[in-house]
Amino acid sequence: MLLALELRAAPAQGRSVDAREATVAELVTASHGGNRAAFASLYERFHRVVHAIALARVPACDAGDVVQDVFADAWSKLTRLRDPAAFPGWILTIARNRAIDAARRQRPVDVAGDLLVDPAVDPPPRLEAAAALRTIRELPETYRETLLMRLVEGLSGLEIAEHTGMTPESVRVHLHRGMKLLRERLGGDRAVQGGDR
Amino acid sequence: MRPSMSDYLFDKTGDDPAVAELEGLLGAYAHRAPLREPPPREPRRRRRWLAAAAAGGLVAAAAVIVVVWRSGGGEGCAAAGPGFAFSVEGGPARCGGGVASRGTLPVGEWLETSSSAVAGVRIADIGQLTVFPDSRVRLIGTGADGHRMQLARGKLSARVVAPPRLFVIDTPVATAVDLGCAYELTVDRDGRTLLRVTSGVVSLEGHGLVSYAPMGTEVVASPGRGPGTPVAGDATDALRAAVARFDGGAPSAVGAIVEVAGLRDTITLWNLLSRTSAAERATVVARLDELAGRPASVRVEDVVAGDAAAIARWREALEERWICLDCFERQR
Repeated sequence: MLLALELRAAPAQGRSVDAREATVAELVTASHGGNRAAFASLYERFHRVVHAIALARVPACDAGDVVQDVFADAWSKLTRLRDPAAFPGWILTIARNRAIDAARRQRPVDVAGDLLVDPAVDPPPRLEAAAALRTIRELPETYRETLLMRLVEGLSGLEIAEHTGMTPESVRVHLHRGMKLLRERLGGDRAVQGGDR
Repeated sequence: MRPSMSDYLFDKTGDDPAVAELEGLLGAYAHRAPLREPPPREPRRRRRWLAAAAAGGLVAAAAVIVVVWRSGGGEGCAAAGPGFAFSVEGGPARCGGGVASRGTLPVGEWLETSSSAVAGVRIADIGQLTVFPDSRVRLIGTGADGHRMQLARGKLSARVVAPPRLFVIDTPVATAVDLGCAYELTVDRDGRTLLRVTSGVVSLEGHGLVSYAPMGTEVVASPGRGPGTPVAGDATDALRAAVARFDGGAPSAVGAIVEVAGLRDTITLWNLLSRTSAAERATVVARLDELAGRPASVRVEDVVAGDAAAIARWREALEERWICLDCFERQR
């Protein structure tokens, strides 16, 4: 709580603060007042789920731009969010709409687009990775985002639940059902021969 | 699913070589980039009266839910199994055959509001309903795969943040499938259903018909005919009358619709593409093309032939006109 007070006390100075203990609502309130450090903390907490949502719809080479667009949009419109606690659902909705917009405007999702990612990524994705990603994109929407949050971004089921507002049990079911479908569709790939839990 | 002592996929305990291999493969796509410097904030713009009214309505609905939620007293409608928490304000309501002011609506039970009661209902962890006076709703089912309710009569508003198709509401003549965000449903004594979409998109389905209704549009579903053709909330009386004739079984009304349709009515014209014969469709295609243009990937002959993929591609191009960027405020 001390941290939250500190964030509110210096709303527009943008100075670096350790916001690890602040709640999302506290960070949103501070960001609302212009505190960029608080907003950066929100980014740290949510950029991976936003990226997974983007990656479910656009090529990997474009997904990073969608993430930045989503947060730029969120920053400029944050004052319209009346309930700070609604931020997770709000940012995820912006992400889905931005990703849908990007998918409409940009190149079709293809293997080439999934191999062209940030040059700093080391090692670069392999063809098998692009094929796996494409297969995940063909799964029902209900499972697609959750699987990408887990398999690409490395979030645990509990972290996914925390960031999306889903219950842990829903996340567990989505992960297992999505994984079962993924295994079936990847067929003979040796990466998918494991059993279904 | 096989039971397991460990669940690597969910909580990373134990091991699962297949999942670990996929993680290793797909981890190359993980997002690591830092936040770019956000742009300066836009100054708040003056809202149009309509947007202000819509926002006021949302706030009022939220306030009703908050007030309702915090009010105490009364007997509960308990659910041994899964159910939706609810609370009532302003008058009595019946749940599961007894009077209740708060509790949990069990699967299979009805919640019925009196002429002065308003109920707030939590839709699992994905959203909330406001059930207005003289309404009757039932929870049909709830689970990880989705949530289903029924509105037999009256009015409700729903606000949902969840993947598409996770929440549906049946009415006597159609099914409203949530594709994201907020809407109102009204059912009269004959079962006639009015859908008003205030944010996002809703699909109203039934009788083999699907009405695609983005924010700002309205659809009427009638007994024996299912969902009608969506119209813009600010459509002219002439357009509405022509659509009513068409939905009532007069294909010749297509000519009148095409004649009076303006730019705001592209949603009506697009929905007509899957409800008309090839000859009628040709006139709709021509008007829609004239009003809104057509992507190069959408060929006139394919649309006239009723090619569902071509019609869907055209919708994707048109959606920029229909759907707001962020679902919480109408695009200007």
